[in-house]
Amino acid sequence: MRNEKKKSPRRSTASKAAQQMMMGGMPQEEEEVLQSPMQMVIHDFLRDKIAMIGVILFTFIFLCCVFLPYFFPIDLYYQDVTQANVAPGFGMLNVPAGLKNNAQDLSVGSSFSVGLDKDGNVYEWGTFPNAKLKNIPSAKETGKLVQISAGLDHVVAVNEDGQVFTWGNDRMGLNSIPMELRTGGNDIKQIMAGYQISLALTEDGEMYNWGSQYLLSITYPEGVQGNIDKFAASTNIVMVLTKDGEVVPLTNKTSAYTNIPEEIQGDVVDLAITDESAAAVTSDGRVYTWGNNIKKTLNVPEEIQGQVASLSAGRYHYTAILKDGSVFSWGDNTHGQANAPKDTGIASVDAGYYANYAITEDGQVIAWGLKGYLMGTDAFGRDLFRRLLVGGRMTMTVGAISVVISTIIGILVGGISGYKGGKVDNLLMRLTEIVSSIPFLPFCIILSSILGNSISETQRIILIMCILGLLSWPGIARLVRGSVLAEREQEFVTAAKALGVKEAGIIFRHILPNIITVIIVNATLNFATCMLTESSLSFIGFGVNEPNATWGNMLTGAQNGQVIANYWWRWLFPAMLLGICTISINCIGDGLRDAIDPKSKER
Amino acid sequence: MGKGRYLLKRFVYIVFVFFIISILMFAIYKSMPGDPVDIMLGDSKTSMKPDAYQALYDKTVKDLGLDKPLPVQYVAWMGNMLTGEFGYSTQYKQEVINIISAPMINTVLLNILTMIVVFIIAIPLGIVTAVRKNGAFDKTVQVVTIVGYSIPTFIVALLAIFLLAVKFPIFPISGVKSAGLNATGLEYVLDRLWHMALPVLVMSVSGIGGITRYVRAAMIDVLRMDYIKTARAKGLREKTVVYIHAFRNALIPVVTITTWWVVGLFGGSIVIESVFLWPGLGKMLIDGLLQRDFAVVLTMQMFYVVLSLAGNVIMDIAYTIVDPRVRLED
Repeated sequence: MRNEKKKSPRRSTASKAAQQMMMGGMPQEEEEVLQSPMQMVIHDFLRDKIAMIGVILFTFIFLCCVFLPYFFPIDLYYQDVTQANVAPGFGMLNVPAGLKNNAQDLSVGSSFSVGLDKDGNVYEWGTFPNAKLKNIPSAKETGKLVQISAGLDHVVAVNEDGQVFTWGNDRMGLNSIPMELRTGGNDIKQIMAGYQISLALTEDGEMYNWGSQYLLSITYPEGVQGNIDKFAASTNIVMVLTKDGEVVPLTNKTSAYTNIPEEIQGDVVDLAITDESAAAVTSDGRVYTWGNNIKKTLNVPEEIQGQVASLSAGRYHYTAILKDGSVFSWGDNTHGQANAPKDTGIASVDAGYYANYAITEDGQVIAWGLKGYLMGTDAFGRDLFRRLLVGGRMTMTVGAISVVISTIIGILVGGISGYKGGKVDNLLMRLTEIVSSIPFLPFCIILSSILGNSISETQRIILIMCILGLLSWPGIARLVRGSVLAEREQEFVTAAKALGVKEAGIIFRHILPNIITVIIVNATLNFATCMLTESSLSFIGFGVNEPNATWGNMLTGAQNGQVIANYWWRWLFPAMLLGICTISINCIGDGLRDAIDPKSKER
Repeated sequence: MGKGRYLLKRFVYIVFVFFIISILMFAIYKSMPGDPVDIMLGDSKTSMKPDAYQALYDKTVKDLGLDKPLPVQYVAWMGNMLTGEFGYSTQYKQEVINIISAPMINTVLLNILTMIVVFIIAIPLGIVTAVRKNGAFDKTVQVVTIVGYSIPTFIVALLAIFLLAVKFPIFPISGVKSAGLNATGLEYVLDRLWHMALPVLVMSVSGIGGITRYVRAAMIDVLRMDYIKTARAKGLREKTVVYIHAFRNALIPVVTITTWWVVGLFGGSIVIESVFLWPGLGKMLIDGLLQRDFAVVLTMQMFYVVLSLAGNVIMDIAYTIVDPRVRLED
């Protein structure tokens, strides 16, 4: 019995008439305090603690997945192997206290950093991709170190005698330091640990390189060795600046990097390379850039032109020290690496990967850039937190649309079948049985694999929604049919028939509003099932594919014991979220059912 | 109508459903990418002269009956399927019929064991929680079971691997038997069981969760009935009331859900087999799809269809056994 004042607009005149008939002699005052069935359901539901916790948790996750991607945008095609499998945490820029006012040299590695204080002590912080990085040689072995550089997963350092040391990853020839550098005696001007390669330059302009030759092949053009002033390297290329102020790429292949502007040759004072472009500073303080303009690294801000003293580069950004001692960054700013501080009096800057360290003239350290990842990264160096957000959105979208499809079909089939009865009912119910005897998961797999072969990824996602929707409606159809069978004998249906309402009108405008609660409960539970099926499909690789993220395919990479044991964050977070969501939805469904069906409450 | 006629009617109907689904399967078969003749002839395309190849091609088309109209092709295909000629596997270079027995045994073994575990745990648990409804034990079981059936099996699998194979290496991560083991008798059986423990455990979790809740709900409904009161009033022992009078009637809804669960179990074991590298039908289906070995894929599909329909038949038979009212149905 509904409260007269809160009557839903869906209710027709016929049902009103029926209701008034039923409530005939009831005094109006008493009716005011009566609760409508809907109010009772809501009241009971709100008192169900487990269901409410479910509602809160699911709503929270849902809202996060819907709105947070706008604040944490993601480029689905972005990958960076240097950031692969980084553990969760924000400690990458936590410069140790011992270094804070006494810094000699700092260097940014892939997900860790190293530093030297003025007494030659080594500090390491961040997350370490290789356990061997912790085997820092003792001060007895090394003497006083003066320069240090961090690479992908190894460190190179040099002491005051010019002896070079390395630790961390020792494969691919990274530990085979050239003899001349091992014994010392050279004045080392610059060292660098790169992507599985190490480089060193002596004051005489001789350059040495050791490590892997596969990723970076270095060929020295004639007359360059012995005449090198500085070098710069990225994962793709090494370039040197000769003592004559010329930029020379150490390669024999032409590429966007070798396309050096002619007008600057002979006038260059500093050089820096990101992964996609190169930049040079000329003696008048102007910056010239060339290469690919990915992440806007070529867009040098006009206001610093003519004032640049030196340059340093990370993977997709540049940081320049201006002549007045302040710093300026441009390029990719995903991790805040281009938000240079306003401080002045900067003596040197080391930019690398996604972070920067600046050392002021009095030895203070200022850091900005990538602090770490909330939930770590996956095997392709993608931020798990951001992928979880868009993945959740995808999982929920697929689940929701499948449920909408299956519910609409279920209501149509069940409604018509239940109301019409007879041959139509028989036919539709046989159809329902046929669909429900189709083995669900195997058919989803085979359909998505065969039909999804020749279509784009977006069409594929739509296809999966349709497959899930088209195969999961029998349950809801049976339920609707049962409820319609019960409802069609009610007086208000007779009243509607007597008023001459069309059949479709009776089914969908008069009967349907009365069984909508049952449908909602079923759709809720169905939503959980569809999310699960989508995740299972994506998990075994027949659902939504990379680079699109869903909670299911984020777990695909975590199937072997190695990953499960060592990179817990890669499977724990998606698994937890998916688990919490499905448990919440099932709790909500159970709570709704208990609230609606007074019989089930006694259970 | 007697039980026999009811069953016969259901059986005829199931054959009809099978016919409809087989048309669907045939449509899938015809829409599979790649020319089946090209696949069958394999390398000969590159090694033979073009006109000789064309002649061979035409001959194969004729031999396979691919030049005939679709209904004729369907009948021929169906005939092959029913007589066990599932086609030639390009991946194993053998007739499919020769290679499916081992994976089939593996899958059936895995699923039967899971079923046994689930029934042994879920049915008594459901009854006990129904009898002591709303007690502390019941409440705990309620929470545990809702978690159990909500969590996706592959997540349970990851957790189980992490806890029982990585952190505490009690069970092997994958495989069916220890490498190089040629023990016989009891030792062999124990080794197999040891390897099956983890997959069975994982697959049981959701089954136990779901079935316990169903048994409990059905039992509570039944225990409210008047005839239970009568049985108690007669002075029957509580055990007799619960296990004989109530449980038999509670079985009716349980049978329905159990059949669906068993059919779903076989489907769901695809995921589990892929996680635990269990060489069963599910893994064969996935490998077949990845290797584009469609003869295998279609055979697996047929297996799942037959299984699902067999589930329906078993459900009908079980109904006639547990519910005497079935014969009144028209």
